[in-house]
Amino acid sequence: MTDLLRLNNISVHFSGLKALTDVSFSASPGQVKALIGPNGAGKTTLFNVISGYVPPTSGEVYFNGEEIQGLTPHEISARGVRRTFQNGGLFGEMTVLENILTGMHVQINSHFMGLLFGTRKADEEEKAAAARAMRLLALMDMSEFADQQVKSLSGGQQRMVEIIRTISTEPPLLLLDEPAVGLSPPMRIRMMEVIKRLAGEEGISILLIEHAIDLVMAGSDRIVVLCAGQNIAEGKPAEIRENREVLEAYLGYA
Amino acid sequence: MNTNPSMERKSWKASRRLFYVVPLAAMFIPLVANDYLQFMVNIMMVYVLVTVGFNLVIGNLGQLAFANTAFFGIGAYTTAILMSHLGFTYDIALVSAAVVGGLAGLLASITALRGIRLYYLAIITMAFGELMRWVYIHADKITHGTDGLPLYNISVFGMSMHSDTAKFYVFLLITVLVVKGVSNLLRSRVGRAIIAIRDNEMTTASLGISTSNYIILTFVMSGSIVGIAGAMFAATTERVFPESFGLTEVIVHFAMVMVGGSGSLIGSVIGGAVLTILPEYFRQFPGMSELFFGGIIITILLFLPKGLASLLAKLSPVFHDRYYRD
Repeated sequence: MTDLLRLNNISVHFSGLKALTDVSFSASPGQVKALIGPNGAGKTTLFNVISGYVPPTSGEVYFNGEEIQGLTPHEISARGVRRTFQNGGLFGEMTVLENILTGMHVQINSHFMGLLFGTRKADEEEKAAAARAMRLLALMDMSEFADQQVKSLSGGQQRMVEIIRTISTEPPLLLLDEPAVGLSPPMRIRMMEVIKRLAGEEGISILLIEHAIDLVMAGSDRIVVLCAGQNIAEGKPAEIRENREVLEAYLGYA
Repeated sequence: MNTNPSMERKSWKASRRLFYVVPLAAMFIPLVANDYLQFMVNIMMVYVLVTVGFNLVIGNLGQLAFANTAFFGIGAYTTAILMSHLGFTYDIALVSAAVVGGLAGLLASITALRGIRLYYLAIITMAFGELMRWVYIHADKITHGTDGLPLYNISVFGMSMHSDTAKFYVFLLITVLVVKGVSNLLRSRVGRAIIAIRDNEMTTASLGISTSNYIILTFVMSGSIVGIAGAMFAATTERVFPESFGLTEVIVHFAMVMVGGSGSLIGSVIGGAVLTILPEYFRQFPGMSELFFGGIIITILLFLPKGLASLLAKLSPVFHDRYYRD
């Protein structure tokens, strides 16, 4: 299988602090790859490097064979790398539907002048997008919330809206930063099912940061373990469970 | 919870057509208004556009940029200079005011793009307005300084626009076109991108939206619309003075945005209109007018922090601002 995403020796230094040192790995379509590691291991920094928010000090990021480090976040996103944020990245004043539609921005081919003058073409393009967004919400059992402001939703519903917004353009690569944090047990299971379905049925490549080890073991195809900015292990869940180095570093066993 | 959201949406859609009644009914104002009232209605439309333009930057984009009087003055002076000195007709001067206002918006956007935000942005953009006022006063060979620059023979497409009634119909057409255009843009990916930047700039970029492009676009639109308002202001007063564009003026603009409803297009229309009429009404109480005016602003903002638009939105979902088309 060809690599959709490949990281070559990524290092990030913040004025002397080594956040990441020579991290390399790859991601393939249809695969859920979990990034685990203690707090401060550099997981979110790695996401920020891939999505263009933090430039790597050295190393390369290849997406679909193209070098993407140095591009701006919106350029990387437009190429099909989409992410969620740890502390929620929704637009609180907007409704659920408007949030999803904002996520579909790059897919809506309406031009400024057409929109300004309300031409039929621009109107139809916008209406078709709204219809697509409603279908997507229906698919995820969220239709009834379409016209509600997202800030009035529960934490779990908000996470779901963020995921729907992120996948609304059918991106080939999805970066999920702790999607299950703060969710109730049934919501967590549902979230993991959604993630597995996106990889299995839609063939999306998913990178997942998650602290809940049970979800990681059950839901991911491969696991990368980061510790103090270094990639200390990679393998199938069963292999990682047996890896002595991981147990020492991550779980604190002597 | 309504069990059938799509049915509910259809009924809003039908009700929203009623908005067209407002401009149609307004066409009959000249039949009933006296000279003074007609003048006030004309000024009202000027301030509706001032507020619509300002609210895009303050309410929708969420940037504390107070360059609005600069845009307003630049629009008015562009019109007056082109007509008085260069002999252009009002129609061309008005379009030029929109273009030059847009360029002023572009200039103002540089500050926000360079990461100058919040209070720093507020003070820098206010300074821009004051600096422009200094230019109007001291470039007196062109602007006639504090004597004011007069406009003569105001006409559009060869028709005289000297009477307030003629101005009214031209202004009504411009106001309806601008408000409809802004409404069209807000109810699209453009409007959503602008609000997304306000709510969470970092996430907006992660959705493939170029935040800097939309910041520039919003400032240019704002400058352009307020520039048009400046051209209308110049035509209404027929003489342009530097002191019309001072710091108190930008405070009035800001009050119009907040009283109408920050980020709400309907709010801009209401806020601009109400805060034009109220001070005029209170003029009959000399010495007390500022007290009433200030008191009303405070009362509205205390009880309706989201402005008069939120009161309407409580009455019916038809008045909700929407950022999509259905």
